[in-house]
Amino acid sequence: MPGRPFSIASRLTLASIVVLVLFLYLTTAALERAFERSAVQSIQQRLKSYFYSLLQESDVNVKGKLLLPEFMPDPDFDRLGSGLYAAVSGPDTEWRSPSALGRDLPFNEAMAPGELRFEGPLKSSVGNVYLLRHGVVFEGHEERPFTYFVAIHESSLVKQKQAFRGTLIRYLGSFGVLMLLAQGILLHFSLRPLRSLASDLTEVEQGHTEELTAPYPSELTGLTGSFNQIIRSERINLKRHRDTLGDLAHSLKTPLAIMRGLLENADQLGPLKSGTEEQVNRMNAIVAYQLARAASSGHKTFAAPIEIDANAEEIVRSLEKVYASRGVLCEFELDENARFHGELGDLMEVMGNLLDNGFKWAKSKVLLTTKSLGGSKGSKTRRAGVEICVEDDGPGIPEDKIDSLLVRGIRGDEQVQGHGIGLSTVSNVIDSYEGQLKIDRSPELGGARFRAIFPALE
Amino acid sequence: MRVLIVEDEAPLRETLAARMQREGFAVDTASDGEEAIYMGKEVPFDIVIVDLGLPKLSGIEVVKRLREAQRRYPILILTARSSWQDKVEGLKSGADDYLVKPFHIEELLARVNALVRRSAGWSKPVLECGPVAMDTTAQTVSVSGALIDLTSYEYKVLEYLMLHAGELVSKGDLTEHIYEQDFDRDSNVIEVFIGRLRKKLDSDGALKPIETVRGRGYRFAIPRTP
Repeated sequence: MPGRPFSIASRLTLASIVVLVLFLYLTTAALERAFERSAVQSIQQRLKSYFYSLLQESDVNVKGKLLLPEFMPDPDFDRLGSGLYAAVSGPDTEWRSPSALGRDLPFNEAMAPGELRFEGPLKSSVGNVYLLRHGVVFEGHEERPFTYFVAIHESSLVKQKQAFRGTLIRYLGSFGVLMLLAQGILLHFSLRPLRSLASDLTEVEQGHTEELTAPYPSELTGLTGSFNQIIRSERINLKRHRDTLGDLAHSLKTPLAIMRGLLENADQLGPLKSGTEEQVNRMNAIVAYQLARAASSGHKTFAAPIEIDANAEEIVRSLEKVYASRGVLCEFELDENARFHGELGDLMEVMGNLLDNGFKWAKSKVLLTTKSLGGSKGSKTRRAGVEICVEDDGPGIPEDKIDSLLVRGIRGDEQVQGHGIGLSTVSNVIDSYEGQLKIDRSPELGGARFRAIFPALE
Repeated sequence: MRVLIVEDEAPLRETLAARMQREGFAVDTASDGEEAIYMGKEVPFDIVIVDLGLPKLSGIEVVKRLREAQRRYPILILTARSSWQDKVEGLKSGADDYLVKPFHIEELLARVNALVRRSAGWSKPVLECGPVAMDTTAQTVSVSGALIDLTSYEYKVLEYLMLHAGELVSKGDLTEHIYEQDFDRDSNVIEVFIGRLRKKLDSDGALKPIETVRGRGYRFAIPRTP
């Protein structure tokens, strides 16, 4: 069995921690990189300015011999192992600043006059250094080029970098913590509707409230609406089944009482036989009626759409068999977009009974029409409805009888079209889908017209 | 007419069998699906009545297998389930009509009568061949409007011949469709019935309704009145 999935809150928290850490890591790296670049640049500037002051203080004598400055631009050039080094090399000259004495530094490559190269960090005997090389000639002694070297140990840079990183981590760290706190508050705020929905559901389960009534954010209204519909239809079904059971039991009691009476007073066979027959018929009608009522399920909320064509054809083929001797022809006018959203059994019950009625009463022709109602593209309906219409060229139904047809109950009067268990079943099914049954005269065929209308779902 | 009643509820099966025998049918019965298929394949019934809720093999399956075995006689199904899904399924399997339980036996007899007539190509309940008219509902026969008095076996023989008017019917066909399985058959009896029928229908010998096809059987010779 798979474990219970993480809660939404812990998913969001986990995800945001991962994103935040990644973000902070990349930010730190980028900032450090940028800082290092600018620090190296400032080192280059510093070395350049040392070079210029050394150059300013240097001169050549008439023979072209280099005269080196007596004072260094920075006292660190005089201090041994200070980390700041200078050197000049050229014809007859190989000068080192006092700080560089005895140190093996890469003061080795001669530069062409005017050429400048900055490098670093380079390995040397004192550790990593940054090195500026500059080729120089003095006026009048162009044939004697010198190369100036200025180098600095990386320790100052490393120190700066460490200080920078420390500050950065402190700031970004507290920023991260603040972000997480904000995220937590945000989560709590965003998930509040879900939590209240869960507690409302518990209320419904425990029977404290009838349905989910609190206003919910738009993302949840589809869910709560459907849920309420399920609750309602469950409740209606439960009530209907309870009623059906009760009605059935009670309505069977009367004929049973009559039969018992007949048996107790049965001196002659004749009255007993006819009386029993009458009550058996009555009980049969009661059972058939209540069975039909119980059978219509009325589940429509999540029903898959059913295509009508194939089922209609099956029913008509069956009816053509049963009514073969009557020679009735059934025509279809089917809307290919029409779908029935509900139980297949309910659809079959409606079409079966209406078509059966049509075949029974038609002179020669029955017409089955289906039409999709609303729900076209772009409209606001969640689901299209459907109209199923059956008309015939039979005698039709007198107008004064139509109203009595629509009053539910058991009818024994088979002399008028539509009376009987079949139509009351149709009417029950349509009711359970909150639809409508309309009965009138067929404008096309002249007989009866029955229209079962299942409305679109808004 | 020979009928097979397939029903597992003994009281209903026996009531139906007794009533149909009274109505002049040769009745065979089966109480489960396997027996029904065996008999349905062996015997050339005129109609088969099948209850859908059978032990061992469902009624639908029985109908399907009989149709697969090319048995063309009409089949009427009985069912306690009245939903259209069940009705359509039953008719789709190859049955010709259905009747929902509980039913009146009169209703069943009317449906059976109509199915047998229909499968023999008659659309009305009165079979008419020239002056000879057989009312299958009232079970009476008249020639030129005058009622003829027939015994039940004479009626059965004539009914079978008239239903298949114009077709050759052998003596074997007649015994098979008129007698039940366990009946002691004697083909001479058929000849006796034919002789009596000729006398009763055609006292002056002008009509000649029943032809003898030597060595092969009989034919009702007066053409059907459309």
